[in-house]
Amino acid sequence: MAITRRQFIGRASLATAGTLFGPQLFRNPFLSQALASTIGDRYFIVLFLDGGNDGLNTIIPVTGGLRSPYEDNRKTGAGGLRIANPLVPAVGPGAPAFIDPNTGSQLGFHPGLAKIRDMYEHGMVSVVQGCGYPEYSLSHQVSRSIWERGSPFDSLGTGWMGRYLAAPSSGYIGSDIPAVNIGNSVSGEYNQSATSVLVFNRLSDFGFPYDPSFADDSAAKDILFNALYGNAGATAHPFMQNLSGTGTSTLTATQQYPVLHDDYIADRQSWSDMYADENVPGLDTSTARGFREIAKVIYGGARGAIPANLQARLFELRNGGYDTHSNQGAEETKGDHFRLHQEVAESINLFYQDLADMASGASVGSGLYDLPNKVTVMVFSEFSRRIEQNDDGTDHGSQGPVFVIGGANALNGGIYGNHIDIANTDGDGNSIYSQDNLDGFRSTDFRDVYGTIMKHWLGLANPAALFPLDSTLGLVGPEYWNTANFNLGFLP
Amino acid sequence: MPAWNLTNARHLLRRTGFGATRDAAQQLFDGNATLAAAVDSLLGFDGSKFKPGGKGIDDLHNKWVKYMIKTRLQLQERLVLFWHDHFATSYAKVEDVKLMALQNRLLRINCKGDFKAFVKAINKDAAMVEFLDTVRNRKKQPNENYARELEELFTLGVTAPTPDAGGDAHNYDQEDIVQIARAFSGWGYNSKGEAEFDEDRHDQGDAIENWNPARGPKVIFKKRGGFNNAAGQPFDGGSYDQEIDNVIDIIFQHRYGPSGNLRNTVADYIAKRLVTYFAHPDPAQSFVHSIVDASGFSTSWSIEALLRALFNHDDFYLSATAPGGATKKSVKWPIDFVVSTLRLLGVKLKGKDQSVQGGEYQDIRGQLTNMGQVLFEPPSVFGWDWELAWASSSTMLARYSFARDVTSARDGGASSFRPELLIDLSLTDPGDIVDAVTEMLGLDDQITTNDRDDLKTYLGAGPIDLLDDDTRNRKLHGLVCVLLQSPLYQLQ
Repeated sequence: MAITRRQFIGRASLATAGTLFGPQLFRNPFLSQALASTIGDRYFIVLFLDGGNDGLNTIIPVTGGLRSPYEDNRKTGAGGLRIANPLVPAVGPGAPAFIDPNTGSQLGFHPGLAKIRDMYEHGMVSVVQGCGYPEYSLSHQVSRSIWERGSPFDSLGTGWMGRYLAAPSSGYIGSDIPAVNIGNSVSGEYNQSATSVLVFNRLSDFGFPYDPSFADDSAAKDILFNALYGNAGATAHPFMQNLSGTGTSTLTATQQYPVLHDDYIADRQSWSDMYADENVPGLDTSTARGFREIAKVIYGGARGAIPANLQARLFELRNGGYDTHSNQGAEETKGDHFRLHQEVAESINLFYQDLADMASGASVGSGLYDLPNKVTVMVFSEFSRRIEQNDDGTDHGSQGPVFVIGGANALNGGIYGNHIDIANTDGDGNSIYSQDNLDGFRSTDFRDVYGTIMKHWLGLANPAALFPLDSTLGLVGPEYWNTANFNLGFLP
Repeated sequence: MPAWNLTNARHLLRRTGFGATRDAAQQLFDGNATLAAAVDSLLGFDGSKFKPGGKGIDDLHNKWVKYMIKTRLQLQERLVLFWHDHFATSYAKVEDVKLMALQNRLLRINCKGDFKAFVKAINKDAAMVEFLDTVRNRKKQPNENYARELEELFTLGVTAPTPDAGGDAHNYDQEDIVQIARAFSGWGYNSKGEAEFDEDRHDQGDAIENWNPARGPKVIFKKRGGFNNAAGQPFDGGSYDQEIDNVIDIIFQHRYGPSGNLRNTVADYIAKRLVTYFAHPDPAQSFVHSIVDASGFSTSWSIEALLRALFNHDDFYLSATAPGGATKKSVKWPIDFVVSTLRLLGVKLKGKDQSVQGGEYQDIRGQLTNMGQVLFEPPSVFGWDWELAWASSSTMLARYSFARDVTSARDGGASSFRPELLIDLSLTDPGDIVDAVTEMLGLDDQITTNDRDDLKTYLGAGPIDLLDDDTRNRKLHGLVCVLLQSPLYQLQ
């Protein structure tokens, strides 16, 4: 007789909840559970646009001094990438004028980002312009790992979120599941030898790991499974130790996490269907489905469906396809870039509607109360594209915009940082990174974005410890990062 | 010189094929008087010109997997997998099944041949020309995509293992990419998938064109003086359609390191990747240098000679023993996990979609997708991330499910798991049964005493009647299932 998943969960949680975790998940046993003092009841999501999103066709000059160099480089006609009609958001409460602080140029969103424009008008979007780092790299791999490390220096082998998880003040212990990656592998942000992060594409994948025809033998198999993974953790081999943590937490997740899927589907079927609505361009995509899985974890966790220490509050997901050397497209809805923008905009917008609906009617003490204001999403890419287009696409460029999105009370909507200088580029056709004024075109260091999030959202009092200044490494000069500014203002 | 014994014979087989039983190792050991002779017997294969066929990309995928399971040319297929990762090309962008099949055969034909000729062939391979936009690279609209990856991933790497005398370790700069892109302009392919050169689209420099400012003759490595010509390397290959080969001739002369101790960059870069793939991660520089020097790879470019030096090197056998403090181990690729398991268990996949006949009856492409490796669709031009990146909770769960499905395949015939063909079912002692099963899976020289005790505990007190259907299906199939899920089995 086949055992159902629910029966199995019931049995497993009776027997083993909390004790199945290997000692290797986090090797910091003396840390106390001080979670509440840091991230509290908040959530943080990182969305990585993989391939180098063209920031110049994301936030676009509409008028003013920036428009003319934009039009000089972005052409019209076949293969042309000029956006003739960027979307200018209306000014309102929490939605200041969409104007570049340096040049005064009116800016607008790419038409594919219509839903992000709407969210901006509701005070839910802050755009941080010109984010980059000294001596920019145009290699996908190198630049991606710099963003993941939160440092331009190879010597820092850990990821910026990994360092946060490992910081004593974060308070995570070995049996916690603090973070989830949607996808197939742990992203570099979480690299930290002491942490293991849960990874999945769909919660429904957490099926029964043994032959269900012999369910009465499953307890014995669990014991053997955990014994072998325990032995692996006891070896001196780093891969065996790492597998030990991954394996035991995976088995725990097969026992504890399916309820998150089941409850969401039972209570919120119509919302689940919306993420997969093939009639809405941008939905029924990997990004939409990824946000749906995050919604399930937040919904179940906020209602106390799983133990609090298994409630992930940090998430990462990625959307690929931004390496638009060719067929990028401008405003036509079938263009590659349009579709990518639309996928992100529709997915995030639906996700926040879902959160708002979960929160509606919730009482003050409930985990669901005020949910949209407890969740922020950071959207970034490893680099941007060059202002000068090629035949029908763009080659790799330097700095680009970062979005931070959240409930209207979660952040201060608006434009932060300066649009990059597209009229005066370096020998390679790119705007350079500099912390010097540069006629007002001062760049935003990506570590200031991270640090601001760490301090104002994740509750880390002193994020500077996680981001070494370039000056401490003997590298000084205006182009280097000598002064941390963890108060960019996009978070309260 | 490594010892010639059964342990090393088995290691050699493990690393050059898919799964190694003790019988196969014994056969290799008995059939060859020396290690060198055994290596020659493995490397001396007459290559096959197999080309996976079919209308859809899933047909291609399944034909290749089927071929890997049945072929005796296991080392050849291991090499084709390596080159598929190295020259990563995805159907997701190419969208042409025929071109992907042609490339697969190209990889097979060149898998142990002349690496320089191999790269020249890849330059003109239609799938690659499409994938990295050479087909869109024209004199008026140069596209840098291929030029960058040619240097960064296919031949040189971004940085050298040791810097030059001035402390600079960069192998090339942006200007080199621009120059190489110019040299590749004008290339495309015809309807048969053959390379074609269009002189009108080729950047011929200021000799013919009236560029303003003049682009001048193409020169690369101006800033990388110190090999051959401090002023850089001009393209002097005669007619313009020869520049595509000329580029490779120049790149293959690239050297790195301090003057007086210059080494060939391409030879060390490729050797390190092959060592990492076949031997273990993070190989010592001396190991890499030793096999490059012993094989003459930096002048002959013979991959076979390089592999011969590798398999005859002491350090290759550092990963032969059970995982401990000093042992080097690698995580099995998903395709290796699947193919090895099916070969070791003698289980065939069934039908056009090559499904596993147990558990969820899932097709093999679906299983591999969940494990994070879809052949013909590497995630990007970087190929797949290796080692622990293969082992997240998501991908491990997929391996657990595959183990469950394959060990519960009981429909009868060649696609079921039939232990009676592999193990003496008259065994009744738990220790004997454990030994027979671990030997069947090639783990008997890897497990610890603790592992063995835990496996015995799972079986319970003897005698165990394996001839009883219920006991066998419950305990023997269960034992194999959990062993396939065990951390040790994920390593090689």
